[in-house]
Amino acid sequence: MTELRGTHGPGPGHILTELFGTEGLERLEVYRAHGGFEGLERALGMEPAAIVDEMKASGLRGRGGANFATGLKWSFMAPPDGGPRYVVCNADESEPGTSKDRYLMENSPHMLLEGVLIACYAIQSHQAWIYIRGEYDRPRRMLEEAVAELTAAGILGERPLGHNYALDIRLYRGHGAYICGEETALLESLEGKRAQPRPKPPFPALKGAWGRPTLVNNVETLSTVPWILRHGAAEYSKFGTEKSKGTRLMSVSGNVLRAGVYEVELGSTFRHILYDLAGGTPAGTQLKCFWPGGSSQPVLRAEHLDLGCDIESVAAAGSAAGSAGCVVMDDRSCAVEVALRLCQFYAVESCGKCTPCRVGGNWAVTTLERILSGAGSQSDLELLDRIQRSIQYGRCLCPLGDSVGAVILTLMNNFRGEFEEHALRNECSPKRAQGVAAGV
Amino acid sequence: MPALDIAQEEAGHLSPEAMAEVAELLNLDSGYVEGVATFYSLFHFQPLGRNHFYVCTNLACMLRGSADIVARLKQQTGLSEARQVTSDGLFSFAEVECLGACEYAPMMRYHESYHYDLTPELIDRLVEQAREAAHD
Repeated sequence: MTELRGTHGPGPGHILTELFGTEGLERLEVYRAHGGFEGLERALGMEPAAIVDEMKASGLRGRGGANFATGLKWSFMAPPDGGPRYVVCNADESEPGTSKDRYLMENSPHMLLEGVLIACYAIQSHQAWIYIRGEYDRPRRMLEEAVAELTAAGILGERPLGHNYALDIRLYRGHGAYICGEETALLESLEGKRAQPRPKPPFPALKGAWGRPTLVNNVETLSTVPWILRHGAAEYSKFGTEKSKGTRLMSVSGNVLRAGVYEVELGSTFRHILYDLAGGTPAGTQLKCFWPGGSSQPVLRAEHLDLGCDIESVAAAGSAAGSAGCVVMDDRSCAVEVALRLCQFYAVESCGKCTPCRVGGNWAVTTLERILSGAGSQSDLELLDRIQRSIQYGRCLCPLGDSVGAVILTLMNNFRGEFEEHALRNECSPKRAQGVAAGV
Repeated sequence: MPALDIAQEEAGHLSPEAMAEVAELLNLDSGYVEGVATFYSLFHFQPLGRNHFYVCTNLACMLRGSADIVARLKQQTGLSEARQVTSDGLFSFAEVECLGACEYAPMMRYHESYHYDLTPELIDRLVEQAREAAHD
């Protein structure tokens, strides 16, 4: 078995990961022996509206990237009309630098399934879908086995845990499209179409999958639900800050000594996360910047290390907590090369629906390639600035376009000198520094 | 998409005929089916090598040396670019976007499983093993 890199076992603020590392936790019998499905048991004995209230009281906010209040989202669901309604779990994790949903599914697939079933009952749905990215072969196989176990145990079926409330979960395999992280694009894909976002409103809570009311939640969000039902909203909201309750999984990667998925209480400082837990940057290097919430959010610098990782503190620093994918870059890397790689990503993954994103991403790539080839000029720097302004600020249906703009803006704002030396003088100071260090 | 999945599983890639067959079975326009298939990066329209490497080169892997991994893979297989197939049909590769296992960077997906903490030497070994398996 692969070595676990990240939080596992009991510890302060280990809500989701407390049991990780327990032998056989992926099996129903072991999960139940540790209190698994007690949350569902309790939920099925409650009024559905009371569960939604419990979620509101917990203060849990969506962990997919938008950080929207979970209980509130559940309360937006159109009232039952006798027709089908769905819970859809977004397991299409693909924000660069984010690996916590994979970590959750591989360690405790039943915890996710339990959360999905509680959500189903709370919004009065009988059918859940888990949309899992196509590359996640191992988590998918583990979830398939877990669903089979639940079916055999009668927890999925007509009478889960003896209650007269039919429940079913189906897995749907994605086929490689970053845009499916956006909930309406995911629903299009689930319906067997090209994954292009829909205009909102109508929101999925009113018109979602196949035009029916649908709740779309992220893996981590749903995996947190069983704990809240077992221990109560009041216990959960003891963790975290006033507005950002609970714990969350930070995926820490890049130039750190101990990359891993770390569960921390919201409000823990980045210094604690990136240095105490992840070991900081390798010897002889300096922190250049880090992305606090996946590659789509603005970078932060060393002066932000004592900030809390809660949603408000990160926003106050001009970035966003996003998916909590923390990527650390040390001073050996070139900001312009990174900008190019990220713009290539957003250009390739643009679904093509909105012109600013479809065209702007490719323009950014072409311009950055020209700058890096040594054929750049002052006008290329101005062009990059025009591109980022023309894509951002609500000009596209979904945030993918904004992300291209944000990447250019944040890297140019923070590392203007590197862009200028590449564009105007065909020089790269990070490379030069390494050449000197290596004695070349 | 599950239908396209089955079709691809059978032939290793999606030919225009296979997509037309899926369209007919589901009572859809074949252009529509092709439009859906070409949207997604895991559907292939040309045969891949029997050993296909999906190497992540996005941010976290890039910062930890994925360029060296791709370079070694090219050197060992003789491939010069992504989606080419070696003349013996054994190898092909693609540089792909973040595969969500950043704590193990640099990493790749190979034969439906993830390979972690890649080094050029590990690539040498995998390529060699694939060649040996082809001889047996």
